[in-house]
Amino acid sequence: MKLKETGVLTTADLKEMGRYPSEERMKKGPVAVAECVQDIPCNPCETSCPFKAIHVGENISNLPNVNVDVCNGCTTCVAACSGLAIFVLDKSYSDSVGKVSFPYEYGHSFKVNDVVKAADRSGKNVCDGKILKITNTQKADKTTIITLEVPIEWVDEVRSIYRDRQQQLVKEVLSEKLGDDVMVCRCEEITAGEIRAAIRQGATDITGVKLRTRAGMGLCQGRTCEALVNQIIRQELGNSPEEIGFSTPRTPQRPVTFGTLGGDLDE
Amino acid sequence: MNKTYDVVIVGAGVIGTSCAYHLVKKGFQVALVEKKDLARETSSHCDAVALIPDKMPGIDAAMGYASIQRFKELEKELDYDFEFHQNGSLHLCETDQEMEIATKYANDLIAEGYAIDILNPQELLEKEPFLATDLKGGLFSHECCGVNPYKLCFAFVDAVEGKGLDVYTHTTVTDIKRDAENNVVGVETDKGILKTNKVVNCCGVWAPEIGKMVGIDIPIKPRKGVILISGAGFPICKQKIHEFGYMVSKFDDIQCERDPEAEKYNVAFTIEPSAGNNVLIGSSRNFDGYDVDAEIDIIRVIAKRAVRFLPILKDINCIRSYAGVRPFIEEHLPLITHVKEIPGYYIAAGHEGDGISMSPLTGRLISEMIAGEEPCMDVSPFSFSRYNK
Repeated sequence: MKLKETGVLTTADLKEMGRYPSEERMKKGPVAVAECVQDIPCNPCETSCPFKAIHVGENISNLPNVNVDVCNGCTTCVAACSGLAIFVLDKSYSDSVGKVSFPYEYGHSFKVNDVVKAADRSGKNVCDGKILKITNTQKADKTTIITLEVPIEWVDEVRSIYRDRQQQLVKEVLSEKLGDDVMVCRCEEITAGEIRAAIRQGATDITGVKLRTRAGMGLCQGRTCEALVNQIIRQELGNSPEEIGFSTPRTPQRPVTFGTLGGDLDE
Repeated sequence: MNKTYDVVIVGAGVIGTSCAYHLVKKGFQVALVEKKDLARETSSHCDAVALIPDKMPGIDAAMGYASIQRFKELEKELDYDFEFHQNGSLHLCETDQEMEIATKYANDLIAEGYAIDILNPQELLEKEPFLATDLKGGLFSHECCGVNPYKLCFAFVDAVEGKGLDVYTHTTVTDIKRDAENNVVGVETDKGILKTNKVVNCCGVWAPEIGKMVGIDIPIKPRKGVILISGAGFPICKQKIHEFGYMVSKFDDIQCERDPEAEKYNVAFTIEPSAGNNVLIGSSRNFDGYDVDAEIDIIRVIAKRAVRFLPILKDINCIRSYAGVRPFIEEHLPLITHVKEIPGYYIAAGHEGDGISMSPLTGRLISEMIAGEEPCMDVSPFSFSRYNK
């Protein structure tokens, strides 16, 4: 299962689990697909469906089963799913384009007929799509549902809109040069200036900076500062991320008492 | 590159950097060649104390003592702060049997003139109030000191770089060049050749690799030690504390009964306050090749031993573990030596867990040997020729 290797679910995973509607069904008209594959204890999909087309059952950790013969693709469950895991797909529209409806809980200024960059499950832009419908009803509790028209071959992949601005912001932040007085390692109170001084003394990677400054030796073990230290080294020396590396991952993953480590809990 | 030096040192851990410092001080032009970066392996994966009571009476303890004296001088000589502190050390005895062995052992050291107090349980708690109350006593050694090991390396280099020392980090030695008479003539690296008549192998656990380049077998094996770090907080202890069983784990010739799990992983409790207000808690000794994973089983036993001796640790957080490999040598005596079969080839390696503490003296001895001076102490026990007998 790709989900376990990459963290991103695939259509093939869903088909393998028998949890994806057939081509035949999608060609008949809109139908919900619950891309829910982990035993999460919740059932708003079941309780929200006005047609009782979704079944979770007594044990609410069960995966939801969509009865595709009853489901008419009304999208009520799309807004109800707190995991944002339900979509409505429609390949009945035409031979060349299909429709995908998905929840969109980000601020936006989209309008119907806008052409946007459609994103797949990993967030990557895969094709363009035209917005057919934007709903934001009281019943949906402020969850916007967007319906996109995309080339029919992308209906199985498109699940959202590419977040261009966010990607842009990340790029801007990463190319920004931090002032020398900016605190980079908060645990040990090490500034960008001290990190640059360590680089001038010969540090070329994360561990080199760490030994010379203590950046990353504190309580959070570099979780906060490591990306920034990496960025500063890259800016100063032009090293590749591989050359800069990362600090050696070590037990424990987060602070744990010596009593617990020593296994004395039962005493 | 392609320059000529009086001496080329291979390996920039604490031994290599100390040799570099002491050689430049004698007026030599020195190159320090290092595959990675300064202090990147053993010298930053250890704790760092210079102790008397963890040495065998005799030359071992004498070297420890001489090193401590040298650290005091270095603190004044070197501008770079390497966090030198001298606040003594405690060794704890868990059983009457241990106390008996420790007393005899301490008396041997006292007879040699070292300042060691033999403490009863009450005196022990006066020194360290958070200790377990059922201990049988211990030893307090006045002279013991500590340093930050990797900062010591930086300090040695900082003092002489550009003033007679060139540092080549991220440079791998590929061969030691010799002439027809076996004399060293140069050091070949992946970045070019350094011409020299003298090379010092300071590669610790990797010294055998540099030995093979001249066809000698250096019997050093990597011995792993695991250490745990606490989150910074209030001072749990005022000085370095060790269980006397540490001696048992270090020297196979001291025998007494110990906790079977501690025995299995060769774990002995040590704790060391650091300048960052964290404590370093150790440690284990086992042979596992060059692997530096801190195994969870060993971590568990170390934590358990630590809580046994300092119960307050039970509720204190551990934030990291680490492990390093120490250059183990069967005789517990380092090699600080010229190899007479290969004129110009020197070895300074094999200090196991005493490399930091013995580094000042080792650097000094190597510089004296290379300068052709009378060494400040008898170096025959450290000679490579001990393997020719």
